[in-house]
Amino acid sequence: MSDASEKLTGSTWDVERLLGDALRPMEPPERLSGRFEDTLSAVTQAAAEELSDWAEELSESELRALRDPRNWVRPVVAVSAGGIATGALLVLELRRRGRQQTKGRLGSAVERVGLR
Amino acid sequence: MSGAKENVEPASLDPAAKAELDRAFEELYRDHLKDVYSYAYYRVGNQHDAEDLTEQAFLQAYRHFDRARRESDGRPLRPWLIRIAHNLALNYYRDRSRRPQTPLEQADPIPARHGTEAIAEGREELRQVIAKLDDLPDDRRDALIMRFALGMDNREIARALGRSDGATKVLIHRAIKQLEEAMSDE
Repeated sequence: MSDASEKLTGSTWDVERLLGDALRPMEPPERLSGRFEDTLSAVTQAAAEELSDWAEELSESELRALRDPRNWVRPVVAVSAGGIATGALLVLELRRRGRQQTKGRLGSAVERVGLR
Repeated sequence: MSGAKENVEPASLDPAAKAELDRAFEELYRDHLKDVYSYAYYRVGNQHDAEDLTEQAFLQAYRHFDRARRESDGRPLRPWLIRIAHNLALNYYRDRSRRPQTPLEQADPIPARHGTEAIAEGREELRQVIAKLDDLPDDRRDALIMRFALGMDNREIARALGRSDGATKVLIHRAIKQLEEAMSDE
């Protein structure tokens, strides 16, 4: 370390210069590019195959699901629930109209007897 | 480093878009292979793990490249790439619960880059600075590797480390100061 110490100017090292010298960019080995290309093509190939397998499985399973009567329950329930809700809305609307008509009739009667 | 074979997102693109994406990725790879490898090398301290880390970093980059390009708004992607390598390096140490297998001062870059003659002529201080660099906290060491090995500016380093520009400037200043003090203590 004595050689290095002699290069000190005061108590300060020129650390930035030393870092610049020590941390030179490293040249990647040539084999790395070939290796990466191989891995990447293997991975993309595997991904593409998996994707097409998945798509096939999905369409088959969807068809099977449509054929299965157990899966018909849910749409029937949904349609029934929709029907009940529509019926309830109709009842509410008829009642509202009924009240308005009653109110209208009462108003006319009041006017007719001269209470307003 | 595990060579996990993950699905890669671009496979789901239509062929023309995928071809264009692959061309752009190839360019990114060509332009920044040296950066990623240099970062990985100085981060893990040996050639073998640096190769693995570089490969994994580019595989991850490929997976998210389409989105990164869209979201980069034309900004350079180097900080994003280095950030991927940085996160992988963190996991690498977490998985193995250790510091670099080969300490940086024993790694081969110095003889390879400067030659044994240069070292014999008094380049011992380079070994010393590398050894002291290895003792710095990870974030300080990483910032200096990015600055000096990759020539990244404060803004790029900030993006790679996920910090503000101001915090990065302070980080680098303190790292150099700490290194100076460590060298003076020798």
